[in-house]
Amino acid sequence: MTSIKGLILFKPADIIILISAGLLTLWLYSVFWFDNSQQGEADRLLLQFADNDAIEYPLNKEQIITIKGRLGPALIEIKQGKARFIHSSCRNQFCVFHGWLTIAGDTTACLPNRISISLKGSANDYDAIAGAQ
Amino acid sequence: MKLHFTTTHQDHRVALLAALAITIHIIESAFPSPLPGIKPGLANVVTLFTFMMYGWKTALQVSLLRVIISSLLLGTFLSPTFLLSLCGALLSLSSLILVQLPFRLLPAKIDHQPGAIGYAIIASISHMSGQFLMAWYFFIPHPGLFKLLPIFITFAVILGIVSGIITQLTISQLTSKQIQRSHLRPDI
Repeated sequence: MTSIKGLILFKPADIIILISAGLLTLWLYSVFWFDNSQQGEADRLLLQFADNDAIEYPLNKEQIITIKGRLGPALIEIKQGKARFIHSSCRNQFCVFHGWLTIAGDTTACLPNRISISLKGSANDYDAIAGAQ
Repeated sequence: MKLHFTTTHQDHRVALLAALAITIHIIESAFPSPLPGIKPGLANVVTLFTFMMYGWKTALQVSLLRVIISSLLLGTFLSPTFLLSLCGALLSLSSLILVQLPFRLLPAKIDHQPGAIGYAIIASISHMSGQFLMAWYFFIPHPGLFKLLPIFITFAVILGIVSGIITQLTISQLTSKQIQRSHLRPDI
């Protein structure tokens, strides 16, 4: 028992609570920061142009999708469960340089062309922990 | 016609504690926070103090009064901030009650109850998780938000220990000295 001038600060139950709080914190770090297994397998691609409804493509079928954006056509490649922009008619080409989208939750948008793609997993979006990296 | 209110000792005590909590809450809201969502939560010291000295009913009154009146004064009544505050306050108080429950059932010969620090850690963790879940469910329903949870809980534990120490010091001051004749006098 630690005390200041005879005043008991930590009672036995406090120490138990403190230790469990520490363990809880460590557990949270391990779950949300260092556990990549929950970063779900993606199984479909959502492609959205402007305000239109998103179109779904399965990721298990290799294909190259051509879609006409605001500025011109964009090509999106689906291969081995991954997806990427391979061509875009925009100036900056950020979407192409972003490279492969691999896990559920990954998203790339080409704002000038008003096209965005993102990967989705089969699990409920809000239950899965699918932060990028 | 004159209105007459009969106020009891208990009413005075609730009013006194609530006024204290509201003052601390408002002063604290004037300080900028280093990280959004992380505040020392010194107003909860009053809630915890009330809970430990006078029991959960008084603590509930004080806590609700604090949340409602300080939000009226700050202009955030019924806004998202208010909802977060209310949710955190209710959840932390109910977890305090839950933790205390088994100790109330035990024979009272030996005092096994946690002290202020234990209760403060529990209150602050549940306050933080309540606000976090509320924010996630209603305002930012994005799974990426959970990456912040460990940081928030770390701060909750640290700040909980700090406010627990403050509460313990307050309690020992009040129970030892001249306060015996004021409204804060414990019933026991």
